[in-house]
Amino acid sequence: MPAPRLRSRSLRKVFSKVPGGRTTIHYKKRKPKTARCGNCGALLKGIPREFPFRMRSMAKTKKRPERPYGGVLCSRCMRQEIVNKIRQ
Amino acid sequence: MNGDVICNEVIGGKMTIEIGRLAVKIAGRDAGNKCVIVDILDDKYVLIDGETRRRKCNVLHLEPLNQTIKIEKNASHEDVANSLKEFGIEVRVTKPKPKTDKPKKKRKTPEQLKARKEEKRKFRDIFKPKKKEDKIEPKEGTLEEKAWLVEEKKEAKAETTGKKNVKPKAAKKE
Repeated sequence: MPAPRLRSRSLRKVFSKVPGGRTTIHYKKRKPKTARCGNCGALLKGIPREFPFRMRSMAKTKKRPERPYGGVLCSRCMRQEIVNKIRQ
Repeated sequence: MNGDVICNEVIGGKMTIEIGRLAVKIAGRDAGNKCVIVDILDDKYVLIDGETRRRKCNVLHLEPLNQTIKIEKNASHEDVANSLKEFGIEVRVTKPKPKTDKPKKKRKTPEQLKARKEEKRKFRDIFKPKKKEDKIEPKEGTLEEKAWLVEEKKEAKAETTGKKNVKPKAAKKE
């Protein structure tokens, strides 16, 4: 029986085989959700799904696509946004 | 013009894609920047210049504007910059990198090699490990002394034990 604090599913289980041959359960923190478009909710590409401490050590160019609204809107919504602005 | 592409998406009239047409780039890292069509390469691609980099571009990645400029086909970057000044558009300026040759490796002359060898010899003398003769001598002496002492003690013990055994026998004999 696992410890009471580990019985919730806030931590994810990782089954690992120990040298003795039996499998043990390691409880690890879950990763944050994948980034989504602020307009349509589509999954954003080019944004790594990493822990904040790992994202902090990453370069700015590795964290989001290098274009206006990069990392906020998907490319399709971004184009529509720019076109709408021009046509106004 | 032959090779013109009609952009049907634009509301309020059809906007043709032609040389000198101002447009806004929609896709990529230059998105949102204004540019001029300098050349029509294909029924798909055009050459653009302006706030964006001077580059080939898909027609679908451009949103044409109402304004046009009089430019020659395949006009140079400077001409485009001069003509765009009227619209208050500043052209992207990139500083060309100064050309530098790779550093060539030169063979060292025999004199230089000799000087280098001498330097190495000097350093060898400096970093040579010191001899441990001075340190070992007292240790050897002490060890020997200890060894002697041990032997002396053993002898002394043997004497004492021997005397005890011998004394009564001698007394009996007497």
